[in-house]
Amino acid sequence: MSNWTSSKLTLRASGSYDRDVPARLPLAAQRLVIVTGKGGVGKSAVTAALARAVAGAGRRVLAVEVTRGGLGALLGAGTLGPAPTVVAPRLQATALEPEEALGDFVQGILRFRMLARRLLESTSFQVLAAAAPGLPELLVLHRLLGWVEERRLGRRVYDLVVVDAPASGHSLPLLAAPRTLGTLTRFGPVAQVLARIQALLTDPSRTLVCLVTTPEELAVRETIELHRELAGPLGLPVAPPIVNALPPRRFGRRDEAALARLEATGGAHAYLVAARYQLERRRRALGQLTALRRALHEPAVSLPFLFAGPEAPGGVARLAADLAAAAGLTA
Amino acid sequence: MTTIDGLLERRRIVFCVGSGGVGKTTTAAALAVESARRGRKTAVLTVDPAPRLKDALGLDTLDARPRRVPLGVGVHLDAVLLDVRRTFDEVVRGLAATPEQARAVLENRLYQNLSGTLAGTAEYTAVEIVFRLAEEGGYDLLVVDTPPARHVVDFLDAPRRLLALLDSRAFAILKDPTVILPASGSRLAHLVLSAVLRGLERFTGLELVREVGDFVRAIEALTGALRARVTAADALLRADGTALVLVTAPEPRLVDENTRLTRALAGLGLPVGGIIVNRMLPRALFAGGTPPPPDGLAPALVARLRRAHAELATLAARQEAVLAPLVEGTAAPVLAEVPLLPGDLGSLADLEAIARHLFPAPAAAPDSAGRVGR
Repeated sequence: MSNWTSSKLTLRASGSYDRDVPARLPLAAQRLVIVTGKGGVGKSAVTAALARAVAGAGRRVLAVEVTRGGLGALLGAGTLGPAPTVVAPRLQATALEPEEALGDFVQGILRFRMLARRLLESTSFQVLAAAAPGLPELLVLHRLLGWVEERRLGRRVYDLVVVDAPASGHSLPLLAAPRTLGTLTRFGPVAQVLARIQALLTDPSRTLVCLVTTPEELAVRETIELHRELAGPLGLPVAPPIVNALPPRRFGRRDEAALARLEATGGAHAYLVAARYQLERRRRALGQLTALRRALHEPAVSLPFLFAGPEAPGGVARLAADLAAAAGLTA
Repeated sequence: MTTIDGLLERRRIVFCVGSGGVGKTTTAAALAVESARRGRKTAVLTVDPAPRLKDALGLDTLDARPRRVPLGVGVHLDAVLLDVRRTFDEVVRGLAATPEQARAVLENRLYQNLSGTLAGTAEYTAVEIVFRLAEEGGYDLLVVDTPPARHVVDFLDAPRRLLALLDSRAFAILKDPTVILPASGSRLAHLVLSAVLRGLERFTGLELVREVGDFVRAIEALTGALRARVTAADALLRADGTALVLVTAPEPRLVDENTRLTRALAGLGLPVGGIIVNRMLPRALFAGGTPPPPDGLAPALVARLRRAHAELATLAARQEAVLAPLVEGTAAPVLAEVPLLPGDLGSLADLEAIARHLFPAPAAAPDSAGRVGR
């Protein structure tokens, strides 16, 4: 990822009020993009925006959320179901429940639907299944692999599968599952599936893991730890971090001096309070952005804070436009 | 629980629950600071503090020993780092009659996997620390910060789930998995179950059935002592002196998350007693609509000021719109609103600033015993 370093200079030189020159995201040829990060940083909004950006550039995209959440609403599609549904031109979306994946797996073995259901409803069976290390994670990855490889009439069904993965704490076991299980299972059909999943996950020409964070201390710290873990021991292709909700630059240096003078004369005008608030938020956020860049030796891709929220009309589209620019995608 | 003062003055344990990133840890610390200032012997148990807060609370190491945080003359607060990743090993060792008994459990491969994932053993270990401090610490109030939403249910339900697992019937099932099927007499059912178990074993590479059996036999020796301990911990969570406070923020995603969380907690018999809403923009700032600009500023700067103000007004309107459904879904009273303060908080001064918002009515002035009010 050394080719990102050149954009550091432009980041610093950027003088205009609103542009943070983005680093590039290699999205053009990826088959699987996994989006993760600390809870509440806007993973779903970024997933929705990535999916829209890539679909907008003419590729067929499947957006997947692991356990139901807000992805459907952000894609303008309401609650997502277990089967992919079309939500926009070239864009399908679905929700993947680990329990349902387990159900599929058991039914695949059993063939008798009723017996399978009874078994799945039994608490003791759930205890047993939970005891199997990495089984839920493996079932999720297996399903993702299925979508990546799915072909109809000799043609790929999806060019890109983009996954709104669970928050960091749960993503790590998910992404580490093939490796963990690989040490337990060396032979047989399961070992082969594991090897295929592992090959897909670690292939930088097909897979990209995107870490989303907000410019806040805890989230940035967690991102740095997760980045090191995923890119290091797990050997996964990790994108430059995506910093979501960066407070915008609203005032220049001269403005700041003028505001400070007004404040010094005892001004507590609503405008001054609001300006101070925005300045302070921006200042602290930039500090975190710097900490992140220093720790990971690469600049982040930043997305603006949306005052009306990503769920407001045009919110996801705005983020999608910025991501498309960062990825060099054109419609 | 109707007032936030009642929380601090009449409860023995307050759990702060809520989704990730809403400021639970900071809120818990601020509540604890205020309680200590009011002269109650207080400890805050925190899960994952940001570095600044960690420094402020003097939590530099990863053990469960309380650290003393001086707050002023004659006033202090104890802080404990609650490490939910701690292993269950400690509990097992404490309960085993002999070192061999402990080793049989600890060395079981399935236990090693289970202790991290199954039946909330990790979460239980954290509850165990709360329990121990409540029993032996001599505190008037423990304020407990909890892991993010989904895990908090595991956390608070850990004693019960562990008890359920220790239940002899469940053990019997684990020893002989074919008991699972209601029609266990049926030959077909047995065939089907062993096919599934073989499938699972093939999938995971574990001799699952045998290893579960081994594990159950190993841990069975400990169950008597464990059951008594876990029952006591569970009773503590349900005691009158224990309260759950939901910490939240005015964000749309939290409406659903809070509703699900409060339902799950109510299902465990642990109702949420009150809500603290963090990160509200001060209403007064936007009450007057667009005010006339201050005098003597360049028109370009006025335009930028107006824009900055209008943007925050948009954010405030979004928060206001979300507040009603946020509270409705949880069916608990709002105890306090804490304004959105810029940046990351963490110093003791920050905590005191938050406490001023949580407790707007001034507390007593310093009294003759040297206690510090505000």
